[in-house]
Amino acid sequence: MGIQGGSESGMEQNAPNKVALVANCLLNQNAKVCQGAHYPGPVSPVVEALRSRGYRLQQLPCPELAFAGVRRWWAVYEQYDTPAYRAHCRRLAQAIAPLIEQYVRRGDEVILIGLDGSPSTGVRFTSSKPDWGGRPNRPEDDWEVVPQRGIWIEELEAELARRGLPPVPATGWALDMGRLDEAASRRDLEEFLDSHKLARGSRGDDPAAT
Amino acid sequence: MKPDARGWRIALVPDIAINPPARMAAALPDVLRVLEANGYGMLQLPPRGKHSLLLAVTADQVAEYSHHGYAVVAIGVHREPSEGLHWRQLAPLLRHRGVTPLPPRHLIRADVDAAAEEQRLAAFLAGYDLPPEEQRHWRV
Repeated sequence: MGIQGGSESGMEQNAPNKVALVANCLLNQNAKVCQGAHYPGPVSPVVEALRSRGYRLQQLPCPELAFAGVRRWWAVYEQYDTPAYRAHCRRLAQAIAPLIEQYVRRGDEVILIGLDGSPSTGVRFTSSKPDWGGRPNRPEDDWEVVPQRGIWIEELEAELARRGLPPVPATGWALDMGRLDEAASRRDLEEFLDSHKLARGSRGDDPAAT
Repeated sequence: MKPDARGWRIALVPDIAINPPARMAAALPDVLRVLEANGYGMLQLPPRGKHSLLLAVTADQVAEYSHHGYAVVAIGVHREPSEGLHWRQLAPLLRHRGVTPLPPRHLIRADVDAAAEEQRLAAFLAGYDLPPEEQRHWRV
């Protein structure tokens, strides 16, 4: 299904907006690891679900692309969990946080749509295999999916907390959880969008609770 | 295994073209829809204001794509400051990272027929890519 419709709001309006912070690769699948892109450009079901509900889109930077390059292979959380990568993620967080702070402080309703299963952008789940390394070998490679944030999301949330901002309600599109079930992923996202409480500071998406 | 579906083409897009204010929404083409229809991913530029670090981060990403076989274009909005692209800041950042020539720019207008503008944008996007020999070199 293609992308339909546009946002009903803009920054120039005084009324609060609904703002969705969106993982970079959900708007640009070229950012994915080699062999990881499911769409040519944007992930249209995500865009359509957000726009049809009046969300402004705010794309986040891709942490892996600028660190390991566009020709990188896939990796798990533990491989990216290094001081250098975390410092890189903090720099990106410092780049985008002023915009997010602006949205939150003007009273916008802000949510975050990450990428479940991603070592970097996972929200409810990330990929894990503490002893994984060496030459990638798909599809034989095997890793665990564990209920935990990815490193980029951890660092972004830490930066927002440093600025005194409340936690942002968040969920993930299950693109990196193994086989993609687009219809189920869409239902899951729409359920989140339609049911989550936008009250400031509430968070019903604790990975430990899933 | 399902083949990789990436489109190898990316557009730099102003915030105002992705999230147009109500006064402009009907006057501008639906840029996201046109990008999707033509297989382009997007890199969103920030709204008006000072965003030095974010523009540097964006330039890093554009350089990575440009150096590895991706076609990158920029879509500006006519009569917006710096066309909504922060071009005065972004262009030197791109040159500094070896992105030469700079991505070709296409301007969309809010003061003409939006449907015609959408067609003009679609034609620009459909007609742009890297030379075939570069595509063959990188796109395996």
